[in-house]
Amino acid sequence: MGEVETIRNNTDIAIRSSACRAERAVVRFSRSSLISYVLGACLPVVLLPLTVLAQPAPDLGADEQREAGRLLYIDKCAQCHGETGKGDGVAAPFMRPMPRDFTAGIYKVRTTPSGQLPTDDDIAGVIRNGMPYTGMPPWPQLNDDEIRNLVYYLKTFNDDFSGPYGVPDVIEIPNPPSFSESSAERGRAVYEENQCFDCHGMAGRGDGPSAVTLQEQWGNHIRPADLTKRWTFIGGDTREDIYRTFTTGLDGSPMPSYSITPIEDSWALVDYVYSLSQDDPDYATSATAQYANDPVDPAQGRAAFGEERGAYFPVVGQIIEPGRSFMPGVDGIEVKVRYNADEIAILLSWHDMSAETTGSNAPDMEVPPTEQVVRDTVTSIWSDAVAVQFPRELASGGMPYFLFGDARQPVDLWFADLASGEGRSYVGRGSGNLLAGETSPSVYATYEDGAWTAVFTMPRDERFAEDTFVPIAFSVWDGFNDERGNRRGVTGWYYLYLEPSERPSPVMPMLRASGLTLFVLLSIVGLMRFRYRTSVSA
Amino acid sequence: MNIIILLVVCAGLVAMRFVPKINILGWLAGWWIAVFVFLRWGIDPPLPTSIQGMFVAILTLALVAYLSANSAHFRFVLDQFVAFTTQKKYTISLLAVIAVLPCLVALRVYFDVTEGPAPPLSSRTIHPPPPTSIEVAGNTIDLVNDDNPYRALETEDPAAFEEHVENGRRVYYENCVYCHGDDMAGDGLFAHGFDPIPANFQDATTIAMLQEGYIFWRIAKGGPGLPNESTPWLSAMPAWENFLSEEDMWDVTLFLYDFTGHRPRAREDHGGGGDH
Repeated sequence: MGEVETIRNNTDIAIRSSACRAERAVVRFSRSSLISYVLGACLPVVLLPLTVLAQPAPDLGADEQREAGRLLYIDKCAQCHGETGKGDGVAAPFMRPMPRDFTAGIYKVRTTPSGQLPTDDDIAGVIRNGMPYTGMPPWPQLNDDEIRNLVYYLKTFNDDFSGPYGVPDVIEIPNPPSFSESSAERGRAVYEENQCFDCHGMAGRGDGPSAVTLQEQWGNHIRPADLTKRWTFIGGDTREDIYRTFTTGLDGSPMPSYSITPIEDSWALVDYVYSLSQDDPDYATSATAQYANDPVDPAQGRAAFGEERGAYFPVVGQIIEPGRSFMPGVDGIEVKVRYNADEIAILLSWHDMSAETTGSNAPDMEVPPTEQVVRDTVTSIWSDAVAVQFPRELASGGMPYFLFGDARQPVDLWFADLASGEGRSYVGRGSGNLLAGETSPSVYATYEDGAWTAVFTMPRDERFAEDTFVPIAFSVWDGFNDERGNRRGVTGWYYLYLEPSERPSPVMPMLRASGLTLFVLLSIVGLMRFRYRTSVSA
Repeated sequence: MNIIILLVVCAGLVAMRFVPKINILGWLAGWWIAVFVFLRWGIDPPLPTSIQGMFVAILTLALVAYLSANSAHFRFVLDQFVAFTTQKKYTISLLAVIAVLPCLVALRVYFDVTEGPAPPLSSRTIHPPPPTSIEVAGNTIDLVNDDNPYRALETEDPAAFEEHVENGRRVYYENCVYCHGDDMAGDGLFAHGFDPIPANFQDATTIAMLQEGYIFWRIAKGGPGLPNESTPWLSAMPAWENFLSEEDMWDVTLFLYDFTGHRPRAREDHGGGGDH
């Protein structure tokens, strides 16, 4: 019951917020002067016949171009988008967002007003650049002619392209003023005023109150963008891209188009969104554990680990063993580690659209192989969870298989169910062979503004010796995404380096090396001068 | 290969020919800088620093050899060096060199000491030697003599062959595409999460130079089935024999070749080997 209630509340919020937007639009409209009313009313009447006459015919390409496009489409695109363009290819059920249904004529990334068709260049741009972190890859290997032929063929899937509205209006994107901190600061107010947080969250992590209920045109749940990860923006990550995305909206998705005036406010919003993210994910290959004299107090959360950004590792779907996760809810995890003589404390932090703190989760839960691959209903059966994994023994050759180890080389798995907050440990010899471990980790987890932070504390055993690299891997379960057991986000093996407690001072080696260099130089010069003088005097 | 850098370097070397009265020291310095710039910035993806260092050392030796091959040149450079270390007009530059060099060395040592060690690298065998036969679902497959059982259909029954390729397409896009990519270039949606990165089948050094039995072995046994001498190998490639039928694995092998346009490497003639 509680669940239904939440959904209804969220829908209310969504409806209310769009009503608010409409209201503001009206207010803004009434500010316009009488002249513009009159002009606005007269202009269409005067111009309409002219524009109809001047309307250029849509460019649909020649027969052979469309045919070349069709062959390319069957070869490269039909696997996902389907032979008839309906977005129902063999790979479509495994994707979220779903592949585009070209017969609908609705396109997300456009330079045209909401509700209109895209331009040829818009479609070509998406083919060329892809949509990062979705099933749509970039196609740099296709040349301009091939892409143009593809565009001509895609346009045959929907009659509107050859109809009277086949040539859409184009929204001019003005030259952006350069980025400024003060503009970004002001953009925060614009962000709040337009209620972007309703979906994208207060900190921009895509965790707003409506986020769990959003649906695209075809009824599937769709996640709002995590604005703190610019590299995942499907419409591109430049400031012009961000401007275009909110000005034209992403048609077919709940992302509406916004007309934010004055133009300075538009760029302020762009700058605010731009300021929320670094340029690229900067994925790490190892994390460094720093020595701390005193034990870490997990209740202090991040503060106990220092404020700087930790090592950030990519999380991908476990798509190998049954219960596969093709679109994991989590795409990256940040890791910070501290240790002292007795303990090792590991902080894991990741963005999650919603905290699932009811139900339960475990790494050995069965996922029926017949279960639909991507579900879009909200359930409260499975909670969020996280695990960190180490080889049980550090062998010199080889490593355990990264999915919970193998029969030859077991792994230690430290697991936290975030509903109970309880830590458990397992010994893994493959995902079908998990046994309870000896010591359970203590876990302290919090969820705030779309980010989970979980701190594992364990006694420090002989594996975690100073100045060594220990293989480390992670698993994350997003309960909202029905993830449990094998259905989860995983990482490959990375390394945890334990920085020595006493760091040698660089002064002595520096002095030694520069002293030696100085000595050699002086000897050479001295020798040369001595020989020169003797030869001259002789 | 960065063409722009290469062109700039070549242009610089050509321009050097037209500099009037350039002496041998200028030549050596010019060549040294040109090759260094090319090694450092002209190659994409960049060479590892250790390899760069090796090439620069070889280059330096080669230039010294070139210099000492001509006694007039050698004499000239020696005289220059003696003049620099002894003559009064060079005193200030000499003092500067004596002061700056030890500082640079100290800076280098500082970075070496404070940088911390790099994670251990695991060496890799690109194409580990396959076993002579493997067991898949109770069947023994002879990797030396058996071919793809459906390859013969290509000429005998093109329609049936096409069906196998189509099934291979389905298998690929339901299982392999996430890592190996929509265009089989090893750049799928999850490729960035794995090291070693997924194989690029478009590349001429992968399936194009292997036989179908080898591909079948890699698909069926995956990373866990690699021979011991190939470890440490962190390949995420699963053993697909646990999830796919034998026919599916042969079909997807057909599809890899069909899609990329490569042909499997021709089998060497074993005909003379005693059984005739």
